[in-house]
Amino acid sequence: MGKDTIGEFEEVVMLTVAVLYKDAYGISIKDEMEKRLKRTVNLGAMRIALKRLENKGFLTSEFGEVTAVRGGKRKRYYEVTPQGKKILEQIMQTRNELWKAIPSIAFDFKFS
Amino acid sequence: MSQSSPIQPPKRTLNFFRWFCDPDILEDLEGDLVELFEERADNNLFKAKALFTRDVLLMLRPGIIKNFEGHKNLNTYGMLKNYLKSAWRNFLKHKSFSTINILSLSIGIAACMVIFLFIQDELSFDTFHTKKESIYRLNEVQSFPGTNTQNVALSMPGMGPTMTKEFPEIQNFTRFWNWKKQLVEKENKKIMVENIAGVDSTFFDIFDFKFLHGNSENALNNPNNAIISEEVAIKFFDRVDVLDETLVINGDHCIIKGVIENVPENSHLQFDIILSIRVATKNRPNFDAQFGSNSLNTYFVLNKSADLENMSSRYPQYLLKHMDEGINDLYKLYLQPLSEIHLSSTDIEHDYNNYRKFNGTYIDVFIMVAIFILLIASLNFMNLTTARASNRAKEVGVRKTIGAVKGQLFNQFIVESILMSMIALLVAVAIEVLSLPLLNHVIGRQLSILTFLDPQLIGITIGVTLIIGIMAGLYPSLYLSAFKPIIVLKGFKSYEKKSFFRSSLVVTQFSLALGMIICTLVVIQQLHYVKNKDVGFNKDHILLVDMNEEVNKNYDALKQALLKKSNVLGVTASSQRLGNNLHQWGFKLKRDSGVVSITPSNVYVDYDYLDVYGIELIEGRTFNNEFATDDGLAFIVNEAFVKEFGIENPIGQKVGHGWYHNDSLGSIIGVTKDFNFNSLHFAVNTLAMEVHSSWGYHEISIKINGENVSQALEDIENVYNQFVTDYPLSYEFLDSQFEEIYQSDQQMSSVITIIAALSILIGSMGLFGLASISVKRRIKEVGIRKVMGASKSEILLILSKSFALMILLSFIIATPFTYFFLSRWLDNFAYRIQINPLIFIAGGVFALVIALLTISFHVLKVASANPVKSLKYE
Repeated sequence: MGKDTIGEFEEVVMLTVAVLYKDAYGISIKDEMEKRLKRTVNLGAMRIALKRLENKGFLTSEFGEVTAVRGGKRKRYYEVTPQGKKILEQIMQTRNELWKAIPSIAFDFKFS
Repeated sequence: MSQSSPIQPPKRTLNFFRWFCDPDILEDLEGDLVELFEERADNNLFKAKALFTRDVLLMLRPGIIKNFEGHKNLNTYGMLKNYLKSAWRNFLKHKSFSTINILSLSIGIAACMVIFLFIQDELSFDTFHTKKESIYRLNEVQSFPGTNTQNVALSMPGMGPTMTKEFPEIQNFTRFWNWKKQLVEKENKKIMVENIAGVDSTFFDIFDFKFLHGNSENALNNPNNAIISEEVAIKFFDRVDVLDETLVINGDHCIIKGVIENVPENSHLQFDIILSIRVATKNRPNFDAQFGSNSLNTYFVLNKSADLENMSSRYPQYLLKHMDEGINDLYKLYLQPLSEIHLSSTDIEHDYNNYRKFNGTYIDVFIMVAIFILLIASLNFMNLTTARASNRAKEVGVRKTIGAVKGQLFNQFIVESILMSMIALLVAVAIEVLSLPLLNHVIGRQLSILTFLDPQLIGITIGVTLIIGIMAGLYPSLYLSAFKPIIVLKGFKSYEKKSFFRSSLVVTQFSLALGMIICTLVVIQQLHYVKNKDVGFNKDHILLVDMNEEVNKNYDALKQALLKKSNVLGVTASSQRLGNNLHQWGFKLKRDSGVVSITPSNVYVDYDYLDVYGIELIEGRTFNNEFATDDGLAFIVNEAFVKEFGIENPIGQKVGHGWYHNDSLGSIIGVTKDFNFNSLHFAVNTLAMEVHSSWGYHEISIKINGENVSQALEDIENVYNQFVTDYPLSYEFLDSQFEEIYQSDQQMSSVITIIAALSILIGSMGLFGLASISVKRRIKEVGIRKVMGASKSEILLILSKSFALMILLSFIIATPFTYFFLSRWLDNFAYRIQINPLIFIAGGVFALVIALLTISFHVLKVASANPVKSLKYE
């Protein structure tokens, strides 16, 4: 995948991060995605996607406070950057254009 | 959830995760994992722990595992990785060179593996018997008057039972009486079965053949019991569980009491059906005490403490007890261990039950050849790596400047060398897999690469390859790591000198290769000689047809009918087949001083035998059925016979069989030129031939028109079926008999030829690589010479000279060793070629031409290059 494009999984991850807004960290993203997509998400795969998106500049992250749970480990909160927003919009726009370009007859399934 | 609670993720798994996880993402990811765990732990702690472990294992993926190299960890992975990387880059940079290097070693290893398989196959003979250590075969040394002294695998029927009684060391015995091809019937199915033998009931106690059905213990208790092989069972019944079925074998109704797995390839005893020996001795009550004629093999099981030498001191006494005075002048007995039967029986004659008998001394030759080729390949590898060192000089210089110490560089090059040899091993295995089927076809074996799947063998193979890698890498590594950085970085030129070491490696390689080429040429020449030597009779296009009583009864009519066919050139019959030693019979010769007993080889034949086989008479006449006395009282002997007994006027000399009365002997009517009825490994023995028309023969010999073989076969079959109804036609060509007796030699020749070709190939590959380097080094010299006016041919000469010198030196070294080896091998044959010095020269010239052709590619390139190009840079 090129530097400025993202895959389907990455797109979903970014959208979920946006949905969760200030509360997007590992487990919450995972839970949200599982809830909405109705499929299990591998934590490792997701973490790699997050790291990659961050490297591409579509996400930023910062550590939260130390808590007693989680073995005392800090959470890493993610946020979508303006660039991230731009690429998400771009993807949505392409999709919409594609939808619009479909002739109505193409999806007109009738069983004769 | 307090921290002191026992709800903690598995410690070890967590530590493992901490160990492999990239530290940049460790903290939050660990937190996530632990959070998940804590959530789950509320429900089911055990399950949560399991899931935690699963999650951690799923984290083992590229983006999460930390980078295990470099400064982050104080270990040598990074350096090792760098070594591998530079080895790989070097490989790619000099593709042709590396390919030559690896391929030549692969070929060497592959050849070695094949030879190993071959040897292993030969050594595996008869190793599947549990009593193999204590089984012996009874052999005789016969020194009959008037015949060559010979070792014989046969013994007398009485020997087994009586020796077992009289020698406490002998625990058990079995006799093996080969009845060869027999007619087997089941209702209306009539099939000739190849190998039928009669044995004692102890046979299956002594030898282990695997029973599929039935029990080995009482299998042969009844004289009418039969044990058949799987193959025979399927042939007759289309199934294997055929216990208690009946087969009619040679007229006897036999009940199947066992079905065994087909006899394995590596058994010297081969049989399709085993019968009780009693089936043939029902009317011979004295069989177990019968002495005099040798007709079967006897095997003994000795107890552990048996002392062979002590036993052999008692044989003369034993023989005297059972036979006449003077027996010990004629016979000596000895026991041959089972393990030697397959490989050490080449000097034993009348050895009819020794499947694929192989000359064991060839095993040593093969081992030697394997070592040679491996040596050539390793030397080559070493040589090429060293020669390439100049390419790596800069690398060494830079590494040393940065701080590499000698030991590190040494390790680097050793690792590289080991790596190359391991790749070579893989390639070798691939070569093996591809070439084995073809090879199996050439040498008639069923070798399989799967033999190497044994863990011990895998270990040895890898170990040997490792040693080759280390040995071959040792010199280059020492050489390279000893470079002084200041000299190599300043420019390698000043560091170059002629390498005596490298040249001597090339000389060694070529000496070995040359030796093998010459051996190949001589071996091929000898085998060609053996195959095409005029043996004194016509052995081409002779068809041998088995006979039984019925065929014998109809023989005369059949013969006349056959002779009417245009493609049948002659029909005769005899008691034995040419192509091995003919049986020796007691014989009488009338002298002035009285009648002497002698024991020449003997065969009884049809009247026209000499004509059909084209055996030449030098004196007297051939048999003629118009003379009544020619049936039984006329003898034709060979030249060797006349010479051996110093008969001055052979024609009319009174002679006769041992049982003839002294007053009613027959006479010699003709003397033939010596013909080689035995293999050319042996000198011609004395021979007498006669006609006994009423006795019946064993084989018809039909001489057919070689240009129309298939038509002839068809005619013969038609005629045969008109006269013989109950005994199916079964025939063989005489040529195949002769092929069989030289099989061992032929196979050795094939293997040596292949190995010689490979060794010259490897040698040439090495030379090719070497030439490319040494020629490149002289590129400036060539440039200057050209500028000064040297012509292209002069340059070619100058460049080729040093290589030609090396070949010449190899030739001088190889010649004496090769000569010595070859003359020893040729001594195996009673009829041998003389080693022609021209062969040595031919071999040398061949090697030289190959070498010059190999280097010509590089030499021509350099010689025709534009001098401006090579002199431009200084």
